[in-house]
Amino acid sequence: MIIGKVITISNMSVSVLLDTYDVGVRDIVYVEQDGQRTLFEVNNVSGNVANAIPLTNVYGLRKGLDVYSQKGGLRIEYSSEVLGKVFDTLGNTIDGSVIERPHTKNIYEKNLSMAEINIKGDILWTGIKVIDFFAPLQKGFKMGMFGGAGVGKTVLVKELINNVYTGQGSNSVFIGIGERSREGRELYDEMQKSQLLDKMSVVFGQMGENPMIRSRAAYSGLTVGEFLRDEQDQDVLIFIDNIYRFLQANSEISAELGNMPIESGYSTSLLTEINEVMERINSTENGSITSFQAIFIPADDMTDFAVNSILSHMDGQVALSRKISEKGIYPAVDVFNTTSKLVTAEGVGERHYSLVERAIAHFARYDELEEIVAVLGIDELGEEDTNTFYRARKLRNYFTQPMFVSEQYTGIPGEFVKIEAVLNDVENIMSGAFDTLDENEFYYIGSVKR
Amino acid sequence: MNNQLSDSIKDKIAAIKTADNVYSMGRVARIRNYIIEVSGLEGVGFFERVIVGDKAEGYVSRIGRNHVTVELVRVIEPIHVGDEITATKQPFGAYFSPSSLGHVVDMFAEDKLVGSVFKDREPISAVVQPIPIMDRSAVSRPLYTGLAAIDLLYPIGCGQRQLILGDKKTGKTQIGLDTIVNQRDSDTICIYVALGKTKKGVKEIYSELLQRGAMPYTLILVAFQDDGAPALYRTPDVALTIANRFMQEGKDVLVVIDDLTLHANIYREISLLADKVPGRDAYPPDIFFAHASLLEQGCQYHNGGSITILPIVETRGGDITDYITTNIISITDGQIVLSAKAFEQGQKPAVNFGLSVSRLGGVVQTDVLRQLGAEVRRELLSFLETREVFELANIDEMNEEMRSRIIRGRQLLGKMSQYKYSPLSPSEIKTRFEESEE
Repeated sequence: MIIGKVITISNMSVSVLLDTYDVGVRDIVYVEQDGQRTLFEVNNVSGNVANAIPLTNVYGLRKGLDVYSQKGGLRIEYSSEVLGKVFDTLGNTIDGSVIERPHTKNIYEKNLSMAEINIKGDILWTGIKVIDFFAPLQKGFKMGMFGGAGVGKTVLVKELINNVYTGQGSNSVFIGIGERSREGRELYDEMQKSQLLDKMSVVFGQMGENPMIRSRAAYSGLTVGEFLRDEQDQDVLIFIDNIYRFLQANSEISAELGNMPIESGYSTSLLTEINEVMERINSTENGSITSFQAIFIPADDMTDFAVNSILSHMDGQVALSRKISEKGIYPAVDVFNTTSKLVTAEGVGERHYSLVERAIAHFARYDELEEIVAVLGIDELGEEDTNTFYRARKLRNYFTQPMFVSEQYTGIPGEFVKIEAVLNDVENIMSGAFDTLDENEFYYIGSVKR
Repeated sequence: MNNQLSDSIKDKIAAIKTADNVYSMGRVARIRNYIIEVSGLEGVGFFERVIVGDKAEGYVSRIGRNHVTVELVRVIEPIHVGDEITATKQPFGAYFSPSSLGHVVDMFAEDKLVGSVFKDREPISAVVQPIPIMDRSAVSRPLYTGLAAIDLLYPIGCGQRQLILGDKKTGKTQIGLDTIVNQRDSDTICIYVALGKTKKGVKEIYSELLQRGAMPYTLILVAFQDDGAPALYRTPDVALTIANRFMQEGKDVLVVIDDLTLHANIYREISLLADKVPGRDAYPPDIFFAHASLLEQGCQYHNGGSITILPIVETRGGDITDYITTNIISITDGQIVLSAKAFEQGQKPAVNFGLSVSRLGGVVQTDVLRQLGAEVRRELLSFLETREVFELANIDEMNEEMRSRIIRGRQLLGKMSQYKYSPLSPSEIKTRFEESEE
């Protein structure tokens, strides 16, 4: 159905002079030129002019082209056929697979009421020492993983997919937003090789794509995750790499529409946008959604508004720091900024809780001592401080871990470490039972074996 | 001959009948540096090539209700308000000539050393298209730079994007040039993209590469400061379109982009002049996308060809956490960080070993180099860390183990030093570092 004509064109928006009122926000409209169809999503309508954002590029488009509407908006597959398939944002499979009887659903439809949300859940062990110890998580948690560029976020995400997945056996969804295509391809290959692919579903909107494609990948991926939770009653794992890119893509769109930006050029409606996505990631009586969301920190700026808006939705966080990765410690977790709502005496038990407190105290004292040692030398420290100094270094080394997915970089086979072993080892290191061992013996090991 | 003539007349008549010979026209209404507003030009396409008589050419960057905005890529003589402007019905594009390998050319395939255009130039797109995920395959083959510090510790693979990062005068360009020269026997086509460099500087690079026998397989693509911002902004796109063409033929291509800091600043200038809403540090909000779409062209293609990209970014005061730098770090597959301090201490290449990263790591190395590299890296990093903590301690008073670790570390650091254009082959690297293992 023809709904109007194109009257202005810029890189990321067109305006359409409408001859019908039957056009709503988030409708999909399209133009055809030289046999090629260009899709747009309607962003706003004022009077008889609609502004729409292209889902591909607009090169060659002309003023005066007829605009048609496509019923149903953006849709993605909503059936058990999602498993083992790779989709783009628009719901097309990109791995060459075919869906026999498509059963699609609009990607914006779902909204949960307060009554539907379930807040109970069991603890979920990841087998990664530093996470299970400092930031244990519970089914239904939203865990943020943040860190600057190149500190090992994606490796940690892959390790989590591998570990949590092997242990849990439930299906998962990987949503790639604005990340590297090379990594997308490798993730696909690795999942296929380890025969995990048929238990997961993947949606990609990678960084070389137009901002609409990147932004909407979040909604498409969540729709798939909701299918597994609502229709198959599963405890679903959703990995989002990277949720910051969602807000970043939105800020590109917002600026192209000429909206007044907020600080750092972010989209005017940043809070509404992040809220809309985060409120969908919840557990119901049917099943849970536990999510791991990588968060990029622009310009290493922890006070960034977008980052903080995302963090306010998280139940826990894992911070990766460049200062630590520089020392060759991976995962480069900054323990001072890594925590979860579960780290209470009620959540993980008295012993675990007090060990966390003591370990953090050790690290805090170590940081102070390190400066003293750099200036005066280790011999100037008293006995207690000397012990703390060496034990903290052992602890630091102990929280490195050989990972399954980074065997290729380190050459050391990965290890899944049980929480009981971690608690024992940490207690032994801090109590001095391991004082005779050299600190290098704690480097890239699983649990301490004696 | 007759047939050709009558065919051509027939085509013309057919074009007249469908009114296809009518080119829309407009007049320049407002001039703001290289961005002009035009009235008229009805029916022009977005990104269509337009010409202002024989004075200038450019592309349509916005079609508004009452006027069209054009960005000029080439200005031959000054234009004035009221000048006539014509649409060409062609998308804006660049040119490439297959015989331009070995020359210094601009995006219009003009040989800059001779000053004339290549006769066999062909139109080529000036915008890159995303390469689908499923057309890629894993990056796994090594691309040797000939520098031990890189090939051993932070290896680069065919299809990898490895950022070269550092302050002014720390040898960033040199790493790119060393790598190009080292491709002499590897059957790799190299494209060196010089953005906003001085003409003298580019001529020097050309003669260096010529002298070392690297020009036969190298294309130097330039945009000088006086070519104007839109040309500077588009040139990396053109470089990657050319690279893509070779990759589609199954060839390995190496693209060195020197440098993306300037590219970001140029894009900021254009966007602000075009009245776009500014983002962080006044850069356009889509600056990340601009760089991502460019660097995502780097890949191992399923047909066996590849594009390896070494983008260069200039930092200030050694700060690698500024906006543009972290953006590009988060796009590339690793970074070689050069430090001014190491450079001054005489360590060349002045690699900062703690901050440099290769996200692909050992997968692009041979087994031998991988094992050796992992050992050397562990030892070197642990030495550098110890050196910091115990910097003020007296080496003679240290225990035996600590002292030998420090001495070994210093030796390793010394072995990383290499003078420019003196590449080491993988087997030379192996011997150099293995003998120190004993």
